[in-house]
Amino acid sequence: MKKLLIAFLVTLTSVFLILSPVSAKEDIVFAETALITGVFGFAGEGLHDGIVDYVNYRNKNGGIRGHKIKHVFEDCGYKVDCSIATFKKLKAEHNPLFYSGDSTGFMKAISPELKKSNNILMSGVSFASELTDEELYPKSFISGPSYSDQMKILIQFAAKEKPGAKIAIIHSDTGFGRDPIESAITLVKDLGLDLVEVITTKAGNVDVSTDVLKLRRKKPDYAIFHGYVLTPINEFMSQMKALGMKTKFMGTYWSSSELMYMKARDVSDGYLGITHLNYFNMEKSPGKKWDAMKAYHDKVHPDKKSRPSFYLFGWFQTMVWAEVIERTIDAGKPLTDENLRATLNSIKDWDTGGIASVPVTVRNNSIPFGRIFKLNAAKGKYEPLSEVIEIK
Amino acid sequence: MRIGDAVSTYRGDETIFRTQTQKIWMGILVIALILFPFISSPYMLFLGCMVGIAVISATGLNILVGLTGQISLGHGGFMGVGAYSAVWLADTFGMSLALTLPLAGIMTALVGMVVGLPSLRVKGLYLAIATMAASVILHFIFVHWESVTGGNRGFNLQNAAIFNIKLDSDFRMYFIIIPLAVLAVLGTRNLLRTRIGRAFIAIRDRDISAEVLGVNLLKYKLMSFGLSSFYAGCAGALWAYFFKIVTPESFPFETSIFYLAAIIVGGMGTVLGPILGAAFMTLVPEMLKLMTELVGPILPNAQVLLSPVKGMVFGLLIVGFLLFEPHGLCELWRRIQRFFRIWPFKT
Repeated sequence: MKKLLIAFLVTLTSVFLILSPVSAKEDIVFAETALITGVFGFAGEGLHDGIVDYVNYRNKNGGIRGHKIKHVFEDCGYKVDCSIATFKKLKAEHNPLFYSGDSTGFMKAISPELKKSNNILMSGVSFASELTDEELYPKSFISGPSYSDQMKILIQFAAKEKPGAKIAIIHSDTGFGRDPIESAITLVKDLGLDLVEVITTKAGNVDVSTDVLKLRRKKPDYAIFHGYVLTPINEFMSQMKALGMKTKFMGTYWSSSELMYMKARDVSDGYLGITHLNYFNMEKSPGKKWDAMKAYHDKVHPDKKSRPSFYLFGWFQTMVWAEVIERTIDAGKPLTDENLRATLNSIKDWDTGGIASVPVTVRNNSIPFGRIFKLNAAKGKYEPLSEVIEIK
Repeated sequence: MRIGDAVSTYRGDETIFRTQTQKIWMGILVIALILFPFISSPYMLFLGCMVGIAVISATGLNILVGLTGQISLGHGGFMGVGAYSAVWLADTFGMSLALTLPLAGIMTALVGMVVGLPSLRVKGLYLAIATMAASVILHFIFVHWESVTGGNRGFNLQNAAIFNIKLDSDFRMYFIIIPLAVLAVLGTRNLLRTRIGRAFIAIRDRDISAEVLGVNLLKYKLMSFGLSSFYAGCAGALWAYFFKIVTPESFPFETSIFYLAAIIVGGMGTVLGPILGAAFMTLVPEMLKLMTELVGPILPNAQVLLSPVKGMVFGLLIVGFLLFEPHGLCELWRRIQRFFRIWPFKT
């Protein structure tokens, strides 16, 4: 009996010792101020789903080196004060390692607090050019090219495709819309292009007929939109096409989603978008991780046949966070913000298995690469048009 | 039941705290306000500061709308002027908050008086549109006067300080914001006892009669705009110090609507109304968020499903107040007070 008891205790201790390194691993917390409601709710919901799905997918596949990921969030409807309150709340309650911000305003406003906070890095929906300043925003980064870089990629593409082309820039009268305009105007002139018009409108539904008449007189070869998601881009395209204009339409990341053909199928054919990611609906699989993402998505959301690019953005952003943590753990370093930051900055030519359409290299708080995709409205798909364009 | 508080002199009638009970409750409130930052979480402290700023701004708007009867949709813009003024003064001249705050208030008061000039010719909806236009013009200035406002990027306030004490935490800001909010409320309460306050009320009730009685409409209407804007400017400056950043989008047009709703929900023309309204408008959305969290264990994915409902519930609560208690939360509070005052004789 005594021997049996000893054997039982030894077995129990062994089992405990074997299991303890795994079970003792703490959860890693990712937090998010979600954008489920508010003016950008239609985009934020997909983004939020992308984050949630990646976290669940990763946890089902063992987490990050044995650490499970816990995802906490609250919706703020694009209100800065609410986002700050939520940040303070989630940080105090859950101590997250990575935080997803819901607006440029929030990411700028929280920066002083973020600088003081230990062990937390932030990225989010903002591609604001200012966030590329590593000194001012040492704990923030952009999971893609900044708005300025996106505009540069579009302009460089136009300059290469048609040297000396006439360019019109149309942007919204918001901080988001005005962000890259100055640098874009400079670049247009530097590349010897002809800037024929810069138009500022309100975001959303506005009467654009007078602006269209101005553009009709100037006959731009390219009209570059920034600061919108859909409207009034569809209005411009519709009216300009009705006038028989041959202008090519281009837009930055947030206006390069599937919404363009879902809501404006008749007029959006040939629209040129810029993104650093691939799309959810691709004719050919771009890689194994993209296949895995699709398979997981189809399994957990059998009712959803398509997803806007915002979903992939959420998935990719969370994937970057997980990659940074995994590399830091593999290097045997503790998960402090200095180490995480150093790991993030060391990412070079990372193959994301088809989630991103560019090899991921982090520089100046961002991923300054992008690719032009052309919308094929008949197929309801964006198709890659350019090679990877890097902004140096 | 409260008895023995009858007064027989005008001076007694004008006393702010008439009874011992009021003084005791005020004392308890002050102690609670002092202790609050020591026992609250960072999240609660943040909300406390937000309520404080909102109280100052709403109290200012109440002077103009509630006491003087002049509608304004430019309050958000005035807060922006205060915020930019404070940040500009701090950044350019290295001034501390002790100087930037009153100066921001004064600068905003001057802007407010200019905006208030149309109030001499128009009122009601027309004045609302005139002040709304001012708000749009101010926003345009915030965007395009880059040398002062920093344009789209706005201003980051790097070294906020008062008397060499760095204002780098919500805890420290709380002890600036809340005393100023108390001061703002006491100032308004005191204003009601003065000739100026009575002139404001006379203008609100019937401006022609007020003029016949010797109230100078030009002087007092502009004074009301100036005072209201002073409060807004101070609130805006505190906002800038609190968030350490000001951009053209910090004070959108919706801010003006927010404060107008706050004083309507709280109770216009009263001192308590803006306090309750500001607290309601700031805290109810957070409470609704908390409620969606509480439903979480029963309804999976509750936050995603109920988030869109929150805005609707918030709107319904405001409409409900307007329908069932048009005098606002202040009137509810008065009813509670009356109940205890005459208890146990009538319940």
